[in-house]
Amino acid sequence: MKKLLQRLGWPGTVALAIVLLFVLVALFAPWIAPYPLQGAGGPNVVAKLSPPSADYWLGTDHLGRDILSRIAYGTRVSLTNGILIVAFSLLIGLPIGLAAGYFGGWVDEALMRGTDVFLAFPALLLAVLMAAALGPGFLNSVIAVAVTWWPWYARLARAEVLVLRGQPYVEAAQLSGVSHWRIILRHILPATGRPLTVQAALDVGPALLTAAALSFLGLGVLPPTADWGQMVDAGRKFFPARWWYSAMPGLTIFVIALAFSVLGDALRERKGGTARASA
Amino acid sequence: MNRRNFLKTAALTAIATAAASHWNFAMAEGASSIFTLAYPTSFPDLDPATSFSNDGAVLANVYEGLTRYIPATDTTEARIDPLLATSWDVSADGKTWTFTLRDGVKFHDGSPLTSQAVKGSIERTKKIGGGASFIWGPVSSIETPEPLKVVFVLSEPQPLDLIASAGFAAWIYAPSAHDKEASWFNAGNDAGTGAFKISRYEPGQRAVLDRVEGYWGKVPDGAFQTISFEIVEDATLAQNMIESGQADWTYSLPSENLEALKSNADLNVVVNPSFETLFGLYNVKRAPLDKVKVRLALSLAFPYDDVIAAGTSGFGTRAKGVVPAGIWGHDANAPIPKTDLEAAKALLAEEGIEPGLELVMTYSTSQAIEAVAGELWKANLETLGITLKLQPMAWEAQWQLGKSNPEAAQDIFVMFWWPTFVTPYDYLFNLFHSEEKPNFNLGYYSNPEVDAKIDEAAKLSGTDRARAEALFIEAQRKIIEDAAAIFMLDQPNVHVIRADIKGYADNPAYGHIAFVNDLSQ
Repeated sequence: MKKLLQRLGWPGTVALAIVLLFVLVALFAPWIAPYPLQGAGGPNVVAKLSPPSADYWLGTDHLGRDILSRIAYGTRVSLTNGILIVAFSLLIGLPIGLAAGYFGGWVDEALMRGTDVFLAFPALLLAVLMAAALGPGFLNSVIAVAVTWWPWYARLARAEVLVLRGQPYVEAAQLSGVSHWRIILRHILPATGRPLTVQAALDVGPALLTAAALSFLGLGVLPPTADWGQMVDAGRKFFPARWWYSAMPGLTIFVIALAFSVLGDALRERKGGTARASA
Repeated sequence: MNRRNFLKTAALTAIATAAASHWNFAMAEGASSIFTLAYPTSFPDLDPATSFSNDGAVLANVYEGLTRYIPATDTTEARIDPLLATSWDVSADGKTWTFTLRDGVKFHDGSPLTSQAVKGSIERTKKIGGGASFIWGPVSSIETPEPLKVVFVLSEPQPLDLIASAGFAAWIYAPSAHDKEASWFNAGNDAGTGAFKISRYEPGQRAVLDRVEGYWGKVPDGAFQTISFEIVEDATLAQNMIESGQADWTYSLPSENLEALKSNADLNVVVNPSFETLFGLYNVKRAPLDKVKVRLALSLAFPYDDVIAAGTSGFGTRAKGVVPAGIWGHDANAPIPKTDLEAAKALLAEEGIEPGLELVMTYSTSQAIEAVAGELWKANLETLGITLKLQPMAWEAQWQLGKSNPEAAQDIFVMFWWPTFVTPYDYLFNLFHSEEKPNFNLGYYSNPEVDAKIDEAAKLSGTDRARAEALFIEAQRKIIEDAAAIFMLDQPNVHVIRADIKGYADNPAYGHIAFVNDLSQ
């Protein structure tokens, strides 16, 4: 533990603490939120658009719901969103990258040119198109972002495999007649696993940022489920007179995105390697 | 704020500054002569034949129709006032209408108003067939027996005096413009009879109208010489302009800000019922909403007051059936349900509805108030064990789903409705008359008794309006009894105007239009 903190330096440590805090909030939202019913969507019209006060620390929204509780519940949506996007992307990108890197030749060409097609589109534009075609909804927004996300993992996995393929232990396995599948699963996958997991964990931040952008555009979760991006959008109408409605969830997005970014930088510097710039 | 938004804001600020300097310049010549409107949308089409949008705000000051609709108030009944026509008669069968034209009216090009000009205008409008030209559909021929007498022959009985009062497609324009293309009008030319003519038009930015000499109508003392429409899409900027006196009139400010504006002595917040009504059509073709008691239970669970408070800041009013207040055929004493969760629970139990029922409500993504209604209703229904699934959709997609197979469509279709010209028939026929193929009757309601009343009332609309009104109200009562729809609220029209302006009256028949000739300072 101490070694990890030393490795991260103080900005990385703070960032890690923030990320862990959000994970805790997501896990225990119903117990942490001051008004769990409102967090889950229950209206409270009498208190609509109240400014921050002792009762409502971050103010209330257009249906009088406590914004702090809504943000706490929104954490669940956002983190799940980020994790699922990355998981889906790994599920598609990893096998493609492994196959391309291991087999090389025309398999590599075919798979990587297909991947390039997806990379050719601006990521957010493709996500918006996908989400618009699939219609709003939690799972749909996850799929929409994952479609733009997986090519990076395919590339990363392929690059790792290219290095590993020439290793003596892989060549030895090949010479002793071990099947391709066995080599990929037993000898290559475990070695690519570590850099990819680190990358994936750090990508949760940018992924949830993209998902928030989608829900800001009205393509994310359906009301009354709380979602940060949607809250920023809903509050825009009342800005700047009732700034807290947009500003509070906006600030939350800012903090978590920054935390993930700082954490990523800290890890990368230590590793000494270069990682791709996140979209 | 991203880069694009920043640039947009910067651009808007620049426009505002430009507008302000323009106004200051004019002020040096005499402040009272310019009426400035901060208008939230642009004017896409200035052709009087096809205009079917907010262009009406400009056109209504430039052109006139044969008649004008004056809505009902607490003390007076709705009526139709003469405008370019001074009087009219209808034959006993309701199919032949004779209008006598006002003498001495001149178009802006100097030519006189004649029956030929009326005939030519309406025929051009019909021939182009865009916008709201369908209102002239029943007209089979127009005759001009005398220069100031025009006779319309209809294919079926229709209230032509009402049709002629429409806010779109009913403008009369000069014969010299009858062979002009839309591009001629959209370059800022006009050919009306109104008190103002277009003198400068910058698409997407502003339209400036100047008073014409020799207008036939009454001009109040201290009337405005110039109208300036400044297109201001940003609500915050529009609010700044009206507060600082750079604009005299605006609308579409967030209702939450209106309380504060009301306490500003320089401003007058004018709240009127509009003719826009919000409702949800129950899918009566699919269980369990095929049962009246289940539908009634849902209506009893709707938090009417909360939705008006949260969705319109209390400016909206309870809808009493589908025809809003101010329109003839409005039923002020309609037996509408009140929020009563206990009664709703009892009705559901009677029909054997178990907790766990899931219903899908579709609404348009662009209507924030529909989302508010859905969220509040959902919370109430949850206490009854019903899950209301809110499904926001692009309007086109929502409509397509509604028009498809009723068995597979939504349970509740939420939308706004407003009429092209002021008649209860527009609401009742489109939304509740049986349809073989669903078009706007998206609850698929079909009741021969209601159909008969609507059809009969339509026939009598031109000849016996009192009887027609009674029939329209009977039809609405039956629809309420059948709980075919949930009538959520009547949308308010809120306009903010500087307090020193005299003579302002909002007319919901002409949406978001200021008749500037009536105003003075």
